[in-house]
Amino acid sequence: MKLRTIFLAAAAFLFAAPVWAHHNMSAIYDFNDKITMSGTLSKMDWRNPHIELIVETKNGGTEVQTWSLEGPSPSFFRSRDINKADVEAAIGKPVTAEASRARDGSRSGLLRTMTLPGGKVISACPQNC
Amino acid sequence: MKTSFRIAVTIAVILAAAIQAAAQLPKDPEERAKAIAQIMQTNARQISLFDREGKEVGQVGPKDLYQQPVFSPDAKRIAVIKSDVDKESNDLWVMDLATGKMTRVSVSGERENAASPAWSPDGSRVAYVGLRQGAYGLYQKLSSGEGAEELLYKSNAPLVLTDWSMDGRYLTFYSTDLGGGAIYALPLAGSGERKPIEIFRSKFQLTGPRLSPDARFVAYVSNETGRTELYIRPFSPEPAPGAASSKGPWKLSEEGSMGMAFWRRDGKEITYLAPNRSIVSVSLSTAPDFEFEKPKVLFSMPETTPLAPNMASVNRDASRYVIAVPPPQLRQITLLDREGKAVGTVGQPGRFGAIRFSPDGKRLLVMKIDPQTGDNNIWVMDIATGKATAITKETLPINSPVWSRDGKQIAYVLVKDSYSSVYRKSADGTGEAELLFRYTPGAGVGLTDWSPDSRFLTFSTGVLLMVPVQSSEKPLDRKALEWLREDYDAFDGRFSPDGRLMAYLSNEADVATPQVYVRPFDSSKPASPAGPAIQITSLKGGANWLTWRQDGKELYFVTRDGQVMAADFTSSPKLQSGAPKLLFKVADPLAGVADVGPDGERFVAAMPAK
Repeated sequence: MKLRTIFLAAAAFLFAAPVWAHHNMSAIYDFNDKITMSGTLSKMDWRNPHIELIVETKNGGTEVQTWSLEGPSPSFFRSRDINKADVEAAIGKPVTAEASRARDGSRSGLLRTMTLPGGKVISACPQNC
Repeated sequence: MKTSFRIAVTIAVILAAAIQAAAQLPKDPEERAKAIAQIMQTNARQISLFDREGKEVGQVGPKDLYQQPVFSPDAKRIAVIKSDVDKESNDLWVMDLATGKMTRVSVSGERENAASPAWSPDGSRVAYVGLRQGAYGLYQKLSSGEGAEELLYKSNAPLVLTDWSMDGRYLTFYSTDLGGGAIYALPLAGSGERKPIEIFRSKFQLTGPRLSPDARFVAYVSNETGRTELYIRPFSPEPAPGAASSKGPWKLSEEGSMGMAFWRRDGKEITYLAPNRSIVSVSLSTAPDFEFEKPKVLFSMPETTPLAPNMASVNRDASRYVIAVPPPQLRQITLLDREGKAVGTVGQPGRFGAIRFSPDGKRLLVMKIDPQTGDNNIWVMDIATGKATAITKETLPINSPVWSRDGKQIAYVLVKDSYSSVYRKSADGTGEAELLFRYTPGAGVGLTDWSPDSRFLTFSTGVLLMVPVQSSEKPLDRKALEWLREDYDAFDGRFSPDGRLMAYLSNEADVATPQVYVRPFDSSKPASPAGPAIQITSLKGGANWLTWRQDGKELYFVTRDGQVMAADFTSSPKLQSGAPKLLFKVADPLAGVADVGPDGERFVAAMPAK
């Protein structure tokens, strides 16, 4: 547990305490393939190890595309004074999001930023940038 | 520390320093100040200069949270990254070696960063990686600190700058992760958008690219053999038509190499850091052909001064070495009584981690770093005799060993390629390791306990997970069950001795101050708690780790500032705990209480060695 003590001290030193991850982000998402989308926030899952936001877009036409955007842990946002209620209030409303697209070409991405209807920006940077 | 682990840690450290993912300092001003003071006491480093024989020839400035010190080309100044814990940012400073005067070069905002400095050949400018408004870029600024910073290259992905070539034409950098890496050179000439040259890409991790003085070769570190080693290969950004294929790469190091290597100004020597804390030199020539001699050790730092790759560098003449020297690292395993008084020691001083009493209180499980190889392995130490038995002899990274409740087996995590896998082995060191579980690629596992009935191992990803290690599935088919998945973090799970409760830490109440909670656990329904939580602590600064007394009637935990506390606990007729009471406080900030014996009368701590 001393190791844990050292780790915690080091982590605190590096300002990187609990960064929960259950997979390798850069293996799944291409940080150099940045996409921007506007649409409707339709669903959210605000739980560990990372949040998930679902955005419905129309891709310039009538076809509805469903995008799944993965973000950091809820604690990442809590420590930045962004709470579940801030995002929950945006469900069913228009949002704009930036994300790094999945390498497999699916309609999923790693959230970088999302602009909520009132103009509030929730940023997953620097963790996801 | 194993080299592959080291490279991962190095990457993690560099990226984490740059990423600043989640500030966890308390918001309460008093607690925040205490936390910062503790961080300074346990992490502040002294910038120290050494000659070619390893003799310390000077110390510069006060101790601070330094990393990545780099000599200016004339060796009269040092560029260094200094952390501002309160602002949660890092900035680039230039330190005058004669006067100790510090000049701030970069000015990062809150949760912004500067990292990995590199001097221009004439010393007038310093380049660095800047994290600005959520985006990474290579920046340069006058080394006097005057003027504005200039963006040279914007990157969507994290990157680490390693050098400014001696001919002034390129910045070299790398980008790497658990899936592999690439090294790059960014041409600085011309106008318009700069495009980096990808020198080399690999499925292995690549770090530390630095061009030879004539810019014909590039030195870099790769873990392609399973250990990080120093390589050199030709650098041909614009190969002539019909040019013969390049020779190389050549492996220069023989016993491992960490971080990056440093070319001497005349290109006839390269110096690198070996895992056994040695500074190693290789004589070589780059013209007409590349030739090199066997590596020779210039000097070795003592075990008390472990060297991290991002904490040391060499001047252009290879005559001076700068090291950001950490606080003393050697620890003596020490037994304490319930008042915190030392009542005995176990074994010899070393670099230990993860110390745990055996269930019968007669042995200790420890992780120990081999001073020669840097390998970190699991040992069991007999408390009465001090005799140590090696449980693992791995060169790969391992972590978080835990006892089975009968004291006969040990489970631990081994990291290979991008997988964290859980193994178990006999606690007497005999027999082969048995694979129990493999987790998602790229994700870490840190075991915290093994259930009394041996059916579940637990770890956390913020979600508290249960691994059903006795299930009928094959080990590779086993899935971790999400026992507690919420919008707050739950971690450090510890089964009660009767296996019917789970104590854990959580930031449910306040994101920056974890507290101790207990919930019912039902082994027949391991995918969710069997009842609501009760909160055991409301400590202003939060709790660190926790454990149970073997009769389940007392819980122990440590505060951020080293107070060892206990709380009475009863589960009948309902879950209930008494007010936490202070047992003792460890005054030395470098000491750490690691575990409590089964009867709650003895504690084990890693104390700074005298």
